[in-house]
Amino acid sequence: SFSSTPSLSTQFDLKTYWTTLIGEINKKLDEAIPVQYPEKIYEAMRYSVLAKAAKRAPPVMCVAACELFGGNRLAAFPTACALEMVHAASLIHDDLPCMDDDPSRRGKPSNHKIYGVDMAILAGDALFPLGFRHIVSHTPSDLVPETRLLRVITEIARAVGSTGMAAGQFLDLKGEPNSVEFVQEKKFGEMGECSAVCGGLLAGAEDDELQRLRRYGRAVGVLYQVVDDVLEEKKRENEENEETMKKGKSYAGVYGVEKALEVAEELRAKAKKELDGFEKYGESVTPLYSFVDYAVDRGFSVDSAS
Amino acid sequence: EEEESESEPTFSFKNYVALKANSVNQALEACVSLKDPKKIHEAMRYSLLASGKRVRPMLCIAACELVGGTESIAMPAACAVEMIHTMSLIHDDLPCMDNDDLRRGKPTNHKVFGEDVAVLAGDALLAFAFEHIAVSTVGVPPARVIRAVGELARSIGTEGLVAGQVVDICSEGLSDVGLEHLEFIHLHKTAALLEAAVVLGAILGGGSHEEVEKLRNFARYIGLLFQVVDDILDVTKSSRELGKTAGKDLVADKATYPKLMGIEKSKEFADKLNKDAQDQLSAFDPEKAAPLIALANYIANRQN
Repeated sequence: SFSSTPSLSTQFDLKTYWTTLIGEINKKLDEAIPVQYPEKIYEAMRYSVLAKAAKRAPPVMCVAACELFGGNRLAAFPTACALEMVHAASLIHDDLPCMDDDPSRRGKPSNHKIYGVDMAILAGDALFPLGFRHIVSHTPSDLVPETRLLRVITEIARAVGSTGMAAGQFLDLKGEPNSVEFVQEKKFGEMGECSAVCGGLLAGAEDDELQRLRRYGRAVGVLYQVVDDVLEEKKRENEENEETMKKGKSYAGVYGVEKALEVAEELRAKAKKELDGFEKYGESVTPLYSFVDYAVDRGFSVDSAS
Repeated sequence: EEEESESEPTFSFKNYVALKANSVNQALEACVSLKDPKKIHEAMRYSLLASGKRVRPMLCIAACELVGGTESIAMPAACAVEMIHTMSLIHDDLPCMDNDDLRRGKPTNHKVFGEDVAVLAGDALLAFAFEHIAVSTVGVPPARVIRAVGELARSIGTEGLVAGQVVDICSEGLSDVGLEHLEFIHLHKTAALLEAAVVLGAILGGGSHEEVEKLRNFARYIGLLFQVVDDILDVTKSSRELGKTAGKDLVADKATYPKLMGIEKSKEFADKLNKDAQDQLSAFDPEKAAPLIALANYIANRQN
């Protein structure tokens, strides 16, 4: 089982921090996708982006990374929303019948189950550019110089592109079982990495600090997924139901739960080690620490409930 | 003066197209290399490097040069627009959309690589278009590049390509599709990206606000023109001549200009759009505007 080390997260109220921030992000996302003609596509986009069960991990991590360096939250919100949009877009496409063929997402029917495969593809195609457009039109120009904004756009485009998340999805579908590390790094680590780095970029972090955020974000992104997979695998063992098995590759599925738990501990340690390098920023690094523990600890609550 | 340039051509459109298509093809070839995973990049290249007419990149470069910029300033944006165009074709051809087997005279992307890879190759081209503009545009103030990114993004989503495709899909089987409705589809499905091509070129080339807006209007007219001509060709040409399935609008009982106003009236409408488009260029130096005028005429008179 996971070792629960006493950490800053016991003093820092992650729940309040997280729920407050999520509330603000949800409001901004709601405003960013108003329903207009042709209504159907806006509804399809809103269905996935505004899903109640979304944890908003990418936007929260982006804002927290920006605030670590004393950046203004308002500078990060448009990019935070964009991250959630491109994240939703890639999930919609991953769930398609020709891909993972997943009928449900976050406890609700997948986008294509409600709106049809054609609308689901188009909703994804529209959310990617909406993310970029939102950054360009909503980022306060007095807070973020244009050169930084261009780096943010590049970072997001690269993360979702042919060597990032698209590559991860491809190998998830076509790769050998032993490609699971690569798949997880690309499918999940990439989004975490991109989110943390974008926050740092917006706040004007130095290159070595960005590298640190890069390694931190990647470790946390993969950590979330490894823990998700462990929970999934345990659930499957309990139910003894082959049909609940997901099509995609998972650590727990390939190497077993024990090995996956070891990997989770390694990732937790790795992520925290990176944050130790931000000591000079004092208390403002706390939210980033708390994500690491949350990634693992939520396992306890779900685990004990099952 | 227009008459004179026809009888005594100082500008050779044929040479211009050959020259620009060559440099665009070289730039496209260079910008998407065969990285890992190979199959996605092969799929991206298969459609992107297929023998397209490169109308959009040429419009982008011509608009940039018209306002005083250079080809090299516009090239990353020109390639990006072609990537977006290619991406939309790959996704439109999918079985769950238009279900097309043939594109630019070759089997469609999903026929060769499978549906899953076709979806991913499209997504990857979309993302790469933005990366390419942001990273590879040089010699331009960052503020202009940011504006270009915003314009490109707008042309793809629910105010552009996607809106057109959605309304098109939702219109199938409707009996009362009027001209206004048809125009909405084409202004979004076709004109939006042609507009982006021209506007991106004009912005990056340093055009004034007024110049950018004139060129934007020009692009909207030729965008609609492009589609009217496409509709006419669909009923008058064979699949072999077109390099894609002919007569499919009729088979699908789709609303088209020939269907709504007849072939003759459609041709008259095309002539009017071409004239309206070229009127937008009247304030520019006619010599410098020659490539765009010729491109408009080419779109009006093309046979495939």
